[in-house]
Amino acid sequence: MSKAAEKKNKQSIVNRFVDLLLQVKESLAPETEPVLAGIWSDEKSFLSAIKELKQKGYKKISAITPCPVHGLEDLLEIKRSWIPWVTFVFGSAGCLFGLWFTWWTSAVDWPLIIGGKPFWSLPAFIPVIFECTILLGALSSVAALFYACKIPSVDPPVLDKDLTSHKFALYFSLKDKKLSTEELEKELLAVGAEKVIQSDF
Amino acid sequence: MAIKNYEQTRTFSTVLIFIGIVAFTVALFLGFQERVWHAYLLSYFYFVLIALGGVFFMSIQHATNAGWSVSVRRLSEALTAYLPVACILTLPLIYGAFSLYDWLDAEKVAKDHLLVHKAPYLNLPFFLIRLGIFLGGWIFFARKLVSFSLKQDQDGDTIWTKKSVKYSVIFLLFFALSLSLFSVDLLMSLDAHWFSTIFGVYVFAGLFQSVFAALILLSAWLLKQDKEKYKTWINENHLHDMGKFLFAATVFWAYIAFSQYMLIWYANLPEETTFFLYRSKGAWAFVSISLIVFKFILPFLFLLPRWVKRNWKTMIFASCLILFMQFVDLYWLIYPHFDSYFPHFSWVEVGVFLAFFGVFVRSVFSFLQKHSPVPLKDPRMKESLSHHVTY
Repeated sequence: MSKAAEKKNKQSIVNRFVDLLLQVKESLAPETEPVLAGIWSDEKSFLSAIKELKQKGYKKISAITPCPVHGLEDLLEIKRSWIPWVTFVFGSAGCLFGLWFTWWTSAVDWPLIIGGKPFWSLPAFIPVIFECTILLGALSSVAALFYACKIPSVDPPVLDKDLTSHKFALYFSLKDKKLSTEELEKELLAVGAEKVIQSDF
Repeated sequence: MAIKNYEQTRTFSTVLIFIGIVAFTVALFLGFQERVWHAYLLSYFYFVLIALGGVFFMSIQHATNAGWSVSVRRLSEALTAYLPVACILTLPLIYGAFSLYDWLDAEKVAKDHLLVHKAPYLNLPFFLIRLGIFLGGWIFFARKLVSFSLKQDQDGDTIWTKKSVKYSVIFLLFFALSLSLFSVDLLMSLDAHWFSTIFGVYVFAGLFQSVFAALILLSAWLLKQDKEKYKTWINENHLHDMGKFLFAATVFWAYIAFSQYMLIWYANLPEETTFFLYRSKGAWAFVSISLIVFKFILPFLFLLPRWVKRNWKTMIFASCLILFMQFVDLYWLIYPHFDSYFPHFSWVEVGVFLAFFGVFVRSVFSFLQKHSPVPLKDPRMKESLSHHVTY
């Protein structure tokens, strides 16, 4: 093979690898939709703006804040997370698994006399059963959290970089055709938004 | 605060105390001496733990600079009003100690090599000195912390908050040591041959559980007094946090109780296993199982959901259950020493308990009658009033 062909071959391998990476990135990219967002830099006027918008009949408001804002989840009518149920169900499953597993290993599959105790002596196994409960409960909670928050997502869109430090935003999905963009923009400025951004998010 | 029906409450407590004293004297005359003193120790210890828990709660809050708990702190201060009374009630117990503890009986000690060996610690003068130091220390710290809090009601000076932190930290160190030794002296030495190094922690876990149950009940009582006025001070967010503490204490109790059981079961040393042997035979086994079910499993599952911890009715139920089971727990610790075959429970125990309950209610409510039931000028009051538990 000539040197040029060798180089070309190498390049094509690199290209294929980059292509693969791009494909992975694309598959991990979050789904976006066009949104219209208003930005506030003051927590109080941000909260009162949501109240005003709700009074005017707007629904399905979403918000991004750099820190927890008290009372926000009530205003946005966010339901409680379903993750505690995952923790409970898998924790209970881990408990039952530990119970069965300690019995099977110590009394059925490989019975050993330890300290003159019965093969299946519950007090000795409670720490193991407890750890199984915690392990399965904790791992399943983390897995459920990743699923619920769509982690990992590569290159998520950014509305405004200040939203991670000191500014507050609320946004409406523009998929809903009932909302007219211009009217909404006026409304957001009327309730005190510093600026209005239209972008994919 | 002018408590509604304060006169009736006082009369009620007087009646309880009267009934208790009658039951106590009748039992003494009938010759149930040993049993009466066991009942006395049971009720004495039960209420000392709750009152001491009040000091523990407020010193934890001071030491950690907690803001949420300011509005319920005065209620825990009210619990400590029982401590000086408990100090007086110790005097009859010292008399009763002679029918409770083998190590106070010179004849029995002389025959028992182990008791001779333990005599440098378990002897009457040192026992009295210890009791004096413990009770004196608790009352000193309780009075200091309460007086700082009351002075702040007057002038609103932040110096009292800073001073409270110092006293709280010293108290917590003193508390850890003194409560362990106090429980060793009064409960563990009932069977002077037996020992368990985790015993003090076990008693502390019971204290931890019962003080939060008592605080929740007192808060519910305060809301019943004047709902419109106090619902801004104590709301379901504070209830939620106290509920979380109650839940944590329940798990902690189970953890400590199991740790004690498992180590003794595993090592299987004759001098240690006696404790659980007595408690796993005959009717005592039912009491032991009831502790596992009603002091851990049931409250654990019941207190899991969020809405239960934010609802006054469910929390009142849970608190009553836990306060009752705390009584059963102490009964389970003390009574097998009186009769290791059968758990006796009748008018003697109920009567003595009622007397102590009357005294406790009287001292706590006379404190609340004199002072405001919520701190007035605490610098963290605003933080407490706007306390909000997010999902």
